[in-house]
Formats: sequence, structure tokens, C-alpha cells
Amino acid sequence: MTELFTVLVGLLLLNIVVGLARVLRGPSAIDRMLASEMFSTSAVAILLLMAFILDKHELLDVALVLALLAALTVVTFVIRVWSELEAPKSDNDPGDTLK
Amino acid sequence: MGGVVLVFDVLLAAALIWLAWQATHTPGLFRAVISFIIFGLLMALAWVRLEAPDIALAEAAIGAGATGALLLSALGRLAVTDEAGTPWQERADLTFWIPAGLALLGLLTLAAWYLPSPGLGQEVQASLPDSGVQNPVTAVLLNFRAFDTLLEIGVLLLATIAIWSLGPMPMPGAQAIISPVLPALGRILFPMFALVSIYLLWRGSHAPGGAFSAGAVIGAGGILSILAGARPWLTGSAYGPWRVLLSLGLSAMLAVALGVIVLGQPFFAYPTHLAGTIVLLLELAAGLSIAMSLVALYLAGQPPTHWDGESLRQ
Repeated sequence: MTELFTVLVGLLLLNIVVGLARVLRGPSAIDRMLASEMFSTSAVAILLLMAFILDKHELLDVALVLALLAALTVVTFVIRVWSELEAPKSDNDPGDTLK
Repeated sequence: MGGVVLVFDVLLAAALIWLAWQATHTPGLFRAVISFIIFGLLMALAWVRLEAPDIALAEAAIGAGATGALLLSALGRLAVTDEAGTPWQERADLTFWIPAGLALLGLLTLAAWYLPSPGLGQEVQASLPDSGVQNPVTAVLLNFRAFDTLLEIGVLLLATIAIWSLGPMPMPGAQAIISPVLPALGRILFPMFALVSIYLLWRGSHAPGGAFSAGAVIGAGGILSILAGARPWLTGSAYGPWRVLLSLGLSAMLAVALGVIVLGQPFFAYPTHLAGTIVLLLELAAGLSIAMSLVALYLAGQPPTHWDGESLRQ
């Protein structure tokens, strides 16, 4: 079972590395933010798997904190960045200028 | 399985270097900020791989959480049209910074090479029973090297005072998207932040956790409730002297440091039978101060003492 977990951890990290292309290419701020949220979720999964592979249960706390704080980042994005983007551009298309 | 572990480490290191490059060199501030947030996330994983779960916890709480919120809010306050930005492409800069960076890397490698190889881990383990806690990191932070922590808490207080002295806090503009989800999210999530924070504070005495991560988590909860429209009541006289909490950590540590002299101990040397209680109380005081400082830093200025409207965004 531990072997399977180790391979899964590797795959999840590979997932993050491939997903970095979305951060690089965008095209919009929302794509980049969602990619970052996906990485948070992957990192939580990696930490949970590592907690059982290494039998270190303190890693569960790290995963807990990471999962909780991922919400803060996305809420800040929606309120402070995304709404600022939407507000002045009501006559144009609703796309954003932040690239 | 060694192969998979090696691939994992190489991928992690390569992604970290690439993200660091992106965060400093990408055109467009939003991309740089996102790269920095992801950098913090992967850095937490790197600390786990380096078998430093305490630092991983702090990095997860401060790097991925509070710093992300700070940077994104700062970005929202800047002019939004920064598509092109100014990528750092002058060759003159690169011809200086690449050799300078390599030289710094060489010096750091040299310094790491000459570190005393067993370190002080053995000594800390040997005197752990006298510290009053079972977690060696907490023992070092709040007992053996409590003086360093005193200075760190002092720096946080100083930063808050410096930011407040810059002027009143900028009021966020009217929200373009009014969502009913947000106040509800703040109301449901804040108790979770508080619960996890108390748990981490309690865990700190025998496992990774402690004042810094607990304070960062509850501080992040405070930032969340401010985002959800809560009033930052730090200076409001109607809400009681909350701002005293900002200096609670520093004053509690100073009181303990000088108080033990009265008991006939040297400066900052706790009596062994009281050490556990003292460390727990100091963690509580420091955690509260750290949380309040994070919220105060996030406000980016002194909050007004009186509020006209019912809520921050009317």
C-alpha cells in the first residue's frame, strides 16, 4: 500500500508541475487563480499521503492548515482583485485586463 | 521506490526554482503574485521533505495564507492595467545579478558545509525534561532561546506601530459584486479558524504547532471576517481596549523575563517546576499578539476610532 501511495504522491506533484503551464499561459487572471487553488488541493492530498507513508501524523495538521487557508486566498481574490476588474469595465466585455 | 522519491525531489526543486524566477521576472504583477503564492505552497512541501514539520506548518499558515491575502489586496489597490509591466530584461542587470547570485549560493553552500555536524539537537534532547514541554522546537523558542522570540515579537509590534503611523487605513471601495455567500462564509469559517488555532496552540507543547502557527491561523480568520465586511474594531473605544492585545506578547515576555529575577533565577531562566505553565501562558499571549498584528498589518493603516456606517462597505 505504501508503494502505491508513493507513486500517487509523485503523480500529484507531476500534476502540479504540468498545471504550472496554466499559470504561465493564462489567459485570464481567473484561470491562474483556479490553477493555484487546484495546487492547494493537490498539496493537501500530497501531505495526507505523506503522513501515512512516513507515519508522521503531524503532517495532518499541516494539511488541515493548508486546506483552511486556501479559502482565504480565493476569497481575497474574489473581493479585492476580481471585483475591481469587473467594476470599471461594464461597457466593454467583462474580461479582465490583468494578464 | 527510491527512484520515485528522487523524481519527486527533483521535480519539487525544479518547480521551486522556476516559480521563484516567475515571481521575480514575469511581466504582469498578478502572475508574479500567483507564482509567489504557489511558491509558498511548494515550499511547505519542501520543508516536509526536509523533515521540518514545524517550519512547514508556519510556511503553510503564513506563506500560503496570510501573505497571499496581503499581496492580492495590495494588487487590488494598485492600478489594474498592468498587462505589459516592465519585465526585467536589461542585460546589464543580468550580467551583474547572475554572478552575484552564484557567488551568494557558493557562500551559503560553504557556510552549510562548515556547520558543526551534529548540531545542538543532542543537547536540546538532553535538557528537554527541564523545559516543561515535550516538543524540542517549542522548548527552544519559548524557553532555551526565549530572548530571540522576545525580539521577534518586538519586531512585529514595531512593524504594526510603523504602519499605523503612516496614516489612517484606506477604505475599500464599494464592492462590484455583492454576494450573500460572503458573510455566511465568514460566519461559518471563522469558528473553524478559531478551533484549529486553539488546537495548534495546545499541540505546541508536545508536537509541531505553537504560538506562531496558531496566531497566523486566527489572524487569517480575522482577515477573512474583515473581507466579509466585519469592522476592524482594534482601536474603537466602544469595543474595549483590544489594541492592548497587540503588545500583550511583548509585555508578557518582558514580565516573565524580569519576574523570574525576583524568584532568585537569572534573566529568563524559568524555575523548572513552573516552566510548563509559563511556556503555555507565553504561547497564549504571543499567539494573541501575532494574530492581532497580522490583522493590523493587513489593514495597512490605523483604523478609525469611530465608525459612521453600520458596516465597512455601505
